[in-house]
Amino acid sequence: MSPARALAAAALAALALAPWVAARYQLSLLTDLLIYGLFALSLDLIMGYTGMVSFGHAAYFGLGAYASALVLIHFAQPVPVALLAGALLAGAVALPIGWFSTRATGIYFAMLTLAFAQLLYTVAYKWRDLTGGSDGIAGVPKTELYWGGPSLASPHAFYFLVAACVVLSLGLCRVIVRSPFGRALEAIRENERRFTSLGRDPRPFKLVVFVIAAVFAGLAGALFAPFRGFASPEVMFWVFSGQGLMMVIMGGIGTLVGPILGAMVFILIQEVLSSYTEHWMIFTGAVFVLMVIFLPGGLVGTARRLRARA
Amino acid sequence: MRRRDFLTMAAVGGLGAGLGVPAFLRRAAAATPIKIGMPAALSGGYAQYGIQAKRAAELFAKDITAKGGVLGRPVEFLYEDTAGDPATAVRKAQKLVEKDGVKFLTGIALSSEALAVSAKCPEWKVIFMSTINGAGSLTAKAWNRYFFRVNTSGPMGARAISLYLAEGPMKRFFALGSDYAWGRDSVASFTTQITAAKKEIVGTDYPPVGTKDFASYIAKIRQSRADGVYLALPGQDATIYLKQAHQFGLNQEVKPIMEILELENMKAVGDAMVGAIGSSRYPFTVDTPRNRDFVKRFHALHGLYPDMFDGETYEGLEWLAQVIQKAGTDDVEKVIDTWEDSSYEGLEGPFFMRKCDHQAVQLGFAVEAVKDPKYPHPVPKILATYPGEKVTPKCRSEDFS
Amino acid sequence: MVEQLLNALTLAGLLFLVSAGLSLVFGILRVVNFAHGVFYMLGAYLGFTTVALSGAFWPALVAVPLVVGTLGALIESSTLRFIYRRPPIYQLLLTFGLALILEEGVRILYGPTAKGIDPPAYLEGAVRLGSLQYPRYRLFVVALGLVVAAAVWLFLRRTRAGLVIRAVAQNSEMADCLGADVARVRTLVFGAACALAGLGGVAAAPMTTAYLGMGIGVIVDAFVVVVIGGLGSIGGSMAGSLIVGAAQTWGAFYLPETAMVIMYAVMGAILIFRPWGLFGEPE
Repeated sequence: MSPARALAAAALAALALAPWVAARYQLSLLTDLLIYGLFALSLDLIMGYTGMVSFGHAAYFGLGAYASALVLIHFAQPVPVALLAGALLAGAVALPIGWFSTRATGIYFAMLTLAFAQLLYTVAYKWRDLTGGSDGIAGVPKTELYWGGPSLASPHAFYFLVAACVVLSLGLCRVIVRSPFGRALEAIRENERRFTSLGRDPRPFKLVVFVIAAVFAGLAGALFAPFRGFASPEVMFWVFSGQGLMMVIMGGIGTLVGPILGAMVFILIQEVLSSYTEHWMIFTGAVFVLMVIFLPGGLVGTARRLRARA
Repeated sequence: MRRRDFLTMAAVGGLGAGLGVPAFLRRAAAATPIKIGMPAALSGGYAQYGIQAKRAAELFAKDITAKGGVLGRPVEFLYEDTAGDPATAVRKAQKLVEKDGVKFLTGIALSSEALAVSAKCPEWKVIFMSTINGAGSLTAKAWNRYFFRVNTSGPMGARAISLYLAEGPMKRFFALGSDYAWGRDSVASFTTQITAAKKEIVGTDYPPVGTKDFASYIAKIRQSRADGVYLALPGQDATIYLKQAHQFGLNQEVKPIMEILELENMKAVGDAMVGAIGSSRYPFTVDTPRNRDFVKRFHALHGLYPDMFDGETYEGLEWLAQVIQKAGTDDVEKVIDTWEDSSYEGLEGPFFMRKCDHQAVQLGFAVEAVKDPKYPHPVPKILATYPGEKVTPKCRSEDFS
Repeated sequence: MVEQLLNALTLAGLLFLVSAGLSLVFGILRVVNFAHGVFYMLGAYLGFTTVALSGAFWPALVAVPLVVGTLGALIESSTLRFIYRRPPIYQLLLTFGLALILEEGVRILYGPTAKGIDPPAYLEGAVRLGSLQYPRYRLFVVALGLVVAAAVWLFLRRTRAGLVIRAVAQNSEMADCLGADVARVRTLVFGAACALAGLGGVAAAPMTTAYLGMGIGVIVDAFVVVVIGGLGSIGGSMAGSLIVGAAQTWGAFYLPETAMVIMYAVMGAILIFRPWGLFGEPE
């Protein structure tokens, strides 16, 4: 078994055993980290593989959260129905936004995604009747796995749901990037002009991956709502998108599994530091700046480079 | 534990066990502290509110330690920083509950954070005591048994100032509320009450949160020929409005009426806001012996005068301590039962905890910002005091009539 | 109406001071500087300190931009300089991280309470313009905006240094071959941009006080201005500032709740149909 496979197997085993090994708080923290990890993973699809920097990705996380919250509160459906609703809403909104945004490239694309995301944020903030406005929607319940099925209210059960979603999503993303479609994405990232000169139009590819990424982000948001019990506009704000970008870079851009780790590290640093000092933001910022300068490949990228050299 | 202590304890324990009294266990129980978790906004745009809660807790911790703790046990405060973000707030609150085992949460600054955390309390079985959050829905639509509100709510604040204005000479009012939940609700509440008092609202506007330039609104307000402008703007926005209105000379023509008149504004704006009136949840100038003593001790510890949430948080903590003492235990269900329908003599006056929605019925204050040479910044002078029954809405609702 | 026009010009003046630097940094360094808003905030706070120490306002207008500009130059030469060859995402995120550090640094130094400055005595009070009373300080801000705009434009168009800067913006490799010290140009431009932002902060402080979060509040406005005007164009920043200033002023008067939405829509439309803005050049 190659070292990469061994590592993957060990990680899966650790994830499976966690509920029996970890304390109550550690398990809920792990669940939280996995949800953010899924968000970062979805961002890596467009950022790492297609080279599109989006400052509006948080909007899809938010859309997923709101859809999920509304389905669970008003229709009391099993959680997977809410997950589907969240993923679909995110994808549906990403379609027109992506269609417009992919007409632009580079920094203009980033600004455009920022503008659209802020638009959605403003709508969420003001449409009080639907979204609860600035207060958000609280009291989102964890319902059941399927109609008449086991309840997901226990931390164990919900953890397994989240872990399963993340592992499956990671698997799906790997399939996507290794397919011919994925190769085309990488070609676009490397040199879009050459891609065009070969007679192929990059725009449909970019649009499709944009929507796929939004769907996974929506899934993460849809898991967030019942886990934390609420949805609010803050999860759609551009600062959260920026944090997502930081997670991807910290973990390793273009490695899929890296961003998941990056998200965990990012949140853990904040958690640990903020218990010791009110000024944890300086240390987080400093760590990040140092990583950007000295370790651009992130954790996974640097690890792979070191292993290749060894 | 040192060897000598262990031997002593073993001996005592052995003796105690022999006497049928497990002294070892009793001493261990006496040592475990009562833990109060404070997931407060200590950084970010709302830090000034979380910091007030922390300041009050620091003074209270000092005071309660001097008294020997509660039920013979020390009181331990665990502070966490939520940065004013609801997702972080829930995460920190969950950490305090699951990892640190706290049974009481307080010090939460934002209403959105409070709503999210409050909704989780029945699942965690911990008490959430609000000393800052004003959202009416916390004791109405979003109420649950584990939530207690010690502070004056937003509707109550609006009520106090509306009662004062109803008796006053001003007739025409413009309402300016920031475009989010609290701003809109306050304006709605004010509009209902002031029109019931046969006064007129001549204009309403909802500037976005974070507005930096109120010049256009100032122009509109001036054009409307209002006597007073009712402001439901969060801290920094209110500071900016007051400064700019002063620069346009508007404050002399149209009196600023603030739903929350706080020291934070007075320190930042200074003399430019002298003459502004409004509602205060806790004016530190309340002249009771208890309060004068509190202000003195607060100033000695922190070097500044207590603002609204400093006072309300201290009162909440003092009351909670008294309730735990009376209940004889920190068991959450028993504390809830003891707290309901109980009374407390606060710094500013008497409090009564309503059983139906856990809102503390308390005095309402209408105040004015005045210059006083004793202080480095303007201070609130009390214009009118209203008894609790007059300013508290009906049970589990935000309405008064 | 005159009042509204003056309000729009005041806002435009402040916006220009903030966005000109952002536009220059993008045009010449090809970096989107997310920390730009924090330099604006730093300027406001340092202005407060300067006024408190010196008792007068004018020293702040001179000293603060110099301090903030120097700080910006130092930061650029110690961090950004090393990553220019990397994909743009790294520079963007670096500035994001720097913003976090600087914002928290200001909080440690000054605490969470807002700091107010009063305009100097001869700029206090209002001026009679017909039936209107208009604050003198705001007229000063309008004048300041115009003066700085003229100065920057003249510098770039009429001086040798300005020529070198424009050459580096057009083609940094060629300029390097022709003997320009590209690294030094970049540092100076970044420093100058921060200095302008700092000046904007000082100018804004008497109107808004110095407060934490004023950087985040202004950066999105600055982006809108720069996008509309054209990334890299000073004339564009001027036009963009006027447009956004006017839109926000009249928007606040007639449609306060939807003004923001309209702004984002306009920004989006320009990015889709004419991404180089009104005065920029297509790449």
